[in-house]
Amino acid sequence: MKSKKKQIAITLGIMCLLLVYAIFTQLKTTQNLASTAGSTYRENGLRDEVLKWKEQYDRIYADLENAEEQLEKERQVSISYDDTSVQKQEELKKINTYLGLTDVEGEGIIITLRDNTTSLISSANNLVHDGDLRAVVNELKNNGAEAISINDQRIVPTTAITCAGTVIQVNDEIVGSPFVIKAIGDKNMINNVMRSGGWLDLLTDYGISVEVKKSDNIKINKYNGVLTDKYIETIE
Amino acid sequence: MVFIAILIGCVIGALLGMNAPIIPYSLSGYLAISIVAALDSVFGGIASVVKGDFDLKIFVTGFFGNAILSILLTYLGERLNVDIYLAAIVVFVGRMFVNLAIVRRYYVDKWTNKIKSMKVQKEENKEKNEE
Repeated sequence: MKSKKKQIAITLGIMCLLLVYAIFTQLKTTQNLASTAGSTYRENGLRDEVLKWKEQYDRIYADLENAEEQLEKERQVSISYDDTSVQKQEELKKINTYLGLTDVEGEGIIITLRDNTTSLISSANNLVHDGDLRAVVNELKNNGAEAISINDQRIVPTTAITCAGTVIQVNDEIVGSPFVIKAIGDKNMINNVMRSGGWLDLLTDYGISVEVKKSDNIKINKYNGVLTDKYIETIE
Repeated sequence: MVFIAILIGCVIGALLGMNAPIIPYSLSGYLAISIVAALDSVFGGIASVVKGDFDLKIFVTGFFGNAILSILLTYLGERLNVDIYLAAIVVFVGRMFVNLAIVRRYYVDKWTNKIKSMKVQKEENKEKNEE
């Protein structure tokens, strides 16, 4: 009789554990999404849809990354017996680095631009515009920056910095204030970039908060889009 | 003993749940429906304890069976583009209310009987004293 009671107690305990565990996990999941319930049924449905697509995208992207890793391994194995292919491999790696398809690090500067929120007069001059970002990127390139990213969007040959209503798009991804522009290159270019009459000086005059600092160890992530070659052909 | 086991289970479950990784959003709908199914089983179990025909085997199989069945039905509904989970929620929550009503009736009856018997005893005592 006593052992039976013990059995019942243990079973019920385990079941309660499972139930409470599930409830807390669910609570955490819904809280983490921070989805303030929309005002309409339709809005909620759309939100649901977006979240599901995003999750699918993340999963497929992870798959892609795995596949790339696999490919890299296969390549390593296949070239390990051949000197010329080792050389080719090195070349390929270098080219990928130039194109922005690999994570890179090195010395350089970090520029942080913030919209002017203290000004009492609401004016377009208080905001950082797409043109400002273009000008800053241009200036960095002019100063020999070898890798640039804006809010972790890598600047590659096909990158467009555009205005999309109230937000700015870089590589078709939305970025917003504060804009963190990382550039790998000679860190002394800070003097050039900060010169009076330069674009950053101009932005400071408008009241936009500009923060520039040198760093010995900047990490810039790779471009996570796709470079296409549908129309270009190499001339032999 | 039983209550202590339940309490420990709840506390450990809460601690584990708070530190658990979050699950993907597309699966959280299934988890939600299985939670409702399991809660329904729990209330069913309480009601059967009150009625006096509690059977552990039936309780456990109902707990897991209902949860799994509701997940399968939700999945089927998603495939067929019918919101079957709405039907599951209606059934489970409806049953929860029925079971809660059974528990409530039981305790209300019990207490009214107790109060009545106490009153009767008091009157008897009074009569005795007057004699």
